[in-house]
Amino acid sequence: MSVDPMAYETQFFGFTPQTCMLRVYTAFQDYLFEMMLVVEGVMLKKLDGIPGCKISPSQIRKCTEKFLLFMKEHFDKLFAKMEEVLLQLVLNIPKNVLLPEDRVHEQYPYSKEEFQALQDELQQLQQQCRAEAAAGQALRAELEEQKAVRAELEKILKCFDGLENICREHGAVNFKESFALLRQNSKRLQDVLKDVEEKSKKMKQHDQLM
Amino acid sequence: GDGGAGSALSAAPGRAQVFATVVDTFLEKLVAAGSYQRFASCYRCFYKLQPQLTRSIYDQFISQLQASIKEEIQEVKNEGNLEGLFSSLDKIVEEAKDREEPAWRPSGIPEQDVRSAMVPYLLKHRSYLRRVLREKEEENRKVAESVLMGRDRIAELQQLIQAHKQAWQ
Repeated sequence: MSVDPMAYETQFFGFTPQTCMLRVYTAFQDYLFEMMLVVEGVMLKKLDGIPGCKISPSQIRKCTEKFLLFMKEHFDKLFAKMEEVLLQLVLNIPKNVLLPEDRVHEQYPYSKEEFQALQDELQQLQQQCRAEAAAGQALRAELEEQKAVRAELEKILKCFDGLENICREHGAVNFKESFALLRQNSKRLQDVLKDVEEKSKKMKQHDQLM
Repeated sequence: GDGGAGSALSAAPGRAQVFATVVDTFLEKLVAAGSYQRFASCYRCFYKLQPQLTRSIYDQFISQLQASIKEEIQEVKNEGNLEGLFSSLDKIVEEAKDREEPAWRPSGIPEQDVRSAMVPYLLKHRSYLRRVLREKEEENRKVAESVLMGRDRIAELQQLIQAHKQAWQ
C-alpha cells in the first residue's frame, strides 16, 4: 500500500498532515493515561485513610487497567475516524486546485528545449547589442576624424583664396615678391596636402565597417 | 421561501467548521463510551465503598480529559495558524471550483520546476534587450548617414583643391 506523502499540502500548511495527526494522537493518549493515573492515585489515597480496608492496591490497578483498555479501544477507533475525515476534507488540497504561489508553472510551462531556446535568444540579443555598440563607437570616431580633415582642407582652400587676393591686389608689379610668396606657400601646401592624403587613406580603411 | 437561510445551508461548511465539528464529535463519542456506568462497573469494589466519591472522581476525570484535549487542539491551531490557513484554502478551492483538470504539481525535480519560475524574468529581459537593440540600430543609422555625408563633403573639398592646384601650375 502506497502512502500519500501529501507533499503539496505540506507546502501549503507548513507541516505534514499525517505528522500533525500523529502529534495530536500522542498528546491525547498521554492525557488519557495521565488522567487514569490521577484517578488511581486519588482512590489509593482514600483507601489508605480507611482502616481495615479489604481492597488492595493491586485490585485498584486491575480496575484501572480494565477501564483503560476499554477506553483505549474506543479512543483508537474514534481517533482513526476523525483522522480520516480531517485528512480527506480539511487538511487536503483537491487535485484540481493550484496554489496561487504556483501560478507561474501553469502560465509558463516551458520545456527544457523551449527554455534553452529562450536563453539562446537572449545570448544572441546581447551579442547583437554589443556589436551595435562597437559599430556606433567606430562611426563616431570616423566623424571626429572627418571633422579634423575637413578643417585642414578648408584651411588649404583659404590659403588659395588668400593667395589669389594678394596677387590681385599687387598686380604684375611685384612679380618677384609674388613669386617668392608663391613658392613659400606652395611648400606649405604640399606638406598639408601630404597630411590630408594620409588621413584620407586611413578613412578608406573604415569603409569596411560600412 | 427563505432563500437566505437556504443558501447558507447549501453552502459547504468551511474547513474550520468541519475541523471543529469533527473534534467535538470525537469528544462526544469518547465521553459517551467512557460513561459513568462503565467507570463504576470497572471500579466496582471502590464504588461499593465510596459511591459519592466515585461519582465526583469520574466527573473530574471526564471534565479534565475534555479540557486537556480542547487545549491541545487550540494549541495546534494557534501554532500552525490553522484558522487563517483554513479560510485561505477555502477561498482558493472556491476559486478553482469550475476547473476540472488536475492542476500542476511539483515534479520533485527542482531544476525542472525552477524553469517556469524563471521564465517571466527572462521574458522581461528579452523585451528590454530588444528595445535597446532597436534604439542602438536607429542611432547608428543616423550617425552612418552623417558619416556618408561627411565623406562626400571631403571629396568635394579635395576636388576644389585639385582645381586650384591646376590653376596655379
